[in-house]
Amino acid sequence: MTTITETTVAPTRLSWLTPNLLGVALLLLLGYGLVPWIGSDYLMDAVLTPFLALALAAIGLNVLTGYAGQVSLGSAAFLAVGAYAAYNLNLRLPSLPLLADIVLAGAIAAAVGIVFGLPSLRLRGFYLAVSTLAAQFFVQWALTKFGWFSNDNASGVIDAPVIRIGSLSFTSATGRYVFSLSIVAVATALTARLLASQIGRNFIAVRDHEVAAKVIGVPLLRTKLLAFGISSFLIGVAGVLWAFAYLRTVEPAGFNLDRSFQILFIIIIGGLASLRGAFIGAAFIVVFPLLLSRLGAALLGSVFDSGVLEMSQRIVIGALIIAFLIAEPRGLVALIDRAVAAARRLRSSQS
Amino acid sequence: MLLSALTTSLDVLALETWAPGTARQVLDTEPAAAPGAQVSGGPRAVLRLANISLSFGGLTALRDVDLDVAEGEIRAVIGPNGAGKSSLLNVVSGLYRPDQGEVWFGDHAFRQVPTAQLARLGVARTFQNLALFNGLSAFDNVLIGLAHRVHTGFIRQLVGSPAARRIEAENRAAAEEVIGFLHLQEVRDRIAGSLPYGLQKRVELARALVARPKLLLLDEPFAGVTLSGKQELAQHVRGARDRYGTTIVLIEHDIGIVMGLSDHIAVLDYGRKIADGPPAEIKTNQAVIDAYLGVAHEDETELAI
Ligand SMILES: Nc1ncnc2c1ncn2[C@@H]1O[C@H](COP(=O)(O)OP(=O)(O)OP(=O)(O)O)[C@@H](O)[C@H]1O
Ligand SMILES: [Mg+2]
Repeated sequence: MTTITETTVAPTRLSWLTPNLLGVALLLLLGYGLVPWIGSDYLMDAVLTPFLALALAAIGLNVLTGYAGQVSLGSAAFLAVGAYAAYNLNLRLPSLPLLADIVLAGAIAAAVGIVFGLPSLRLRGFYLAVSTLAAQFFVQWALTKFGWFSNDNASGVIDAPVIRIGSLSFTSATGRYVFSLSIVAVATALTARLLASQIGRNFIAVRDHEVAAKVIGVPLLRTKLLAFGISSFLIGVAGVLWAFAYLRTVEPAGFNLDRSFQILFIIIIGGLASLRGAFIGAAFIVVFPLLLSRLGAALLGSVFDSGVLEMSQRIVIGALIIAFLIAEPRGLVALIDRAVAAARRLRSSQS
Repeated sequence: MLLSALTTSLDVLALETWAPGTARQVLDTEPAAAPGAQVSGGPRAVLRLANISLSFGGLTALRDVDLDVAEGEIRAVIGPNGAGKSSLLNVVSGLYRPDQGEVWFGDHAFRQVPTAQLARLGVARTFQNLALFNGLSAFDNVLIGLAHRVHTGFIRQLVGSPAARRIEAENRAAAEEVIGFLHLQEVRDRIAGSLPYGLQKRVELARALVARPKLLLLDEPFAGVTLSGKQELAQHVRGARDRYGTTIVLIEHDIGIVMGLSDHIAVLDYGRKIADGPPAEIKTNQAVIDAYLGVAHEDETELAI
């Protein structure tokens, strides 16, 4: 009797990071039920809200790169398209509810993504990555060049409107965090559902063996463009969160190539082709600099200024990327899974 | 990936010079029927190659090859390394465009077979080098063999419309059946890339079989499989024909397997078909023996049996 309870209890205690409904429910309970009450404004404003926006962007890129195997360096461009599209929809079509603005902004980002995904029909790997850079530079250029996008602000800066749904407005740090959490939760659930369908299998087939996929009858053109569309949609929505819920004042320069790389690093460190990996990677990228600055300040005192922080951050993240690419291409999520499995084996061998 | 890159860059100026009844310099052991006509009395040809030639730059991979594969037969294609066997299958599946000749599926003739339509034409194939989707489970690899049947768009799949759910359920049932048929239940949830080689070969066979193709092209399905595995796999191949009525074109080096399994054997050598007939005839065919003796080849002793 005791052994039975032992073995049934052990997995639930250790499997909080492996994908199951219970784990997701627990995290949501924590996210809605606990964090808003006990978390500080700083935690929600400077840590959790950007974490959620980046995680959603990483999910978007993971759909394209991790699942469908199409490399992209244009993520920041689609963030920007989402942010500026939502801003303009809100400004110019005031009768539309904000949720509709967000969905439409995602759709506009998807359309732009599909256009810039067209080269994927001919190019792959490195060459495709370079061609997605075109999106990166074009979007940033267009947003600075044409004042219309920023309602004629000289440097393209936009001030995000207050997030308002019906009579509810989400102005406080807590409100904006809860709003982001809700959008990210819904988007993640829908993405997980899609990836479990035939479309998700088609993505992986195109990634793993394009010729075999074609022979079987996977529509290559449609599958690749769909990957670009869905990916850009998700990144576009993440851009709205980034601009409306997190920064609230954004400029085109904030969506530069560095941002694209940041999102790429999130999925490499977190784990390619894994939704959990996107969250774990985003958490790492957000929390790591904070930890590093605390640690640096504690160890080195005033020598560790922001310049040193930024440099050491780049060095460590660069080294980590290389380490992961060589030693564990499946990222942190694989390390965690392996640790959980090892702990479980240990438990079961003890009992 | 490399393969498709090569095919797209194949710059072939094909001349539409094919005509029925072109003189063949091929040593046929069977009277070849004129293309388009029925083999007298016999079952209709599921696959017919008419005068296929293919070259890569200066290298001729196939030269005036004709081939008739009757419904429900197992047709082996043998020949030394580099004889053009895989190239032949690549022509049949549209990955290569021949310089001349036509490929017939039943009554449809193609200059270049449209690869994307292959599954809908009832043709499935396996590859000489494993071509599984390594990131998917064995079951999902089999399931995706039915990709061409999923015609619901992404919104309907996302919301799970009745049509989408019905197709998914039908496909899952079909995949489940083939998994059972090939005894893959134990590994159905394992990631395909993590399976041993022989099992991966079997998963690939299952993926090709799940669509119940009229024509199944197998490129060395037995290579790298253990001896006992070979016997088992051979039974599965024959079982596929007996159970689903599938016509099979089989490329294989193991002469023992080929003799036991096939109804007819075509022999390629340097891109030419040098013989075509029932196993007993091929075994004693002088041209075949010469071809195998002429090149240092591991199978020559096996042929002598
Ligand atoms: N894509 C290609 N580009 C250039 N040459 C090719 C290509 N595919 C095949 N060949 C050449 O065509 C010839 C026939 O090759 P093929 O692969 O059809 O032989 P095979 O009979 O299948 O041999 P094996 O038993 O080794 O598999 C070989 O000389 C090969 O090098
Ligand atoms: Mg071959």
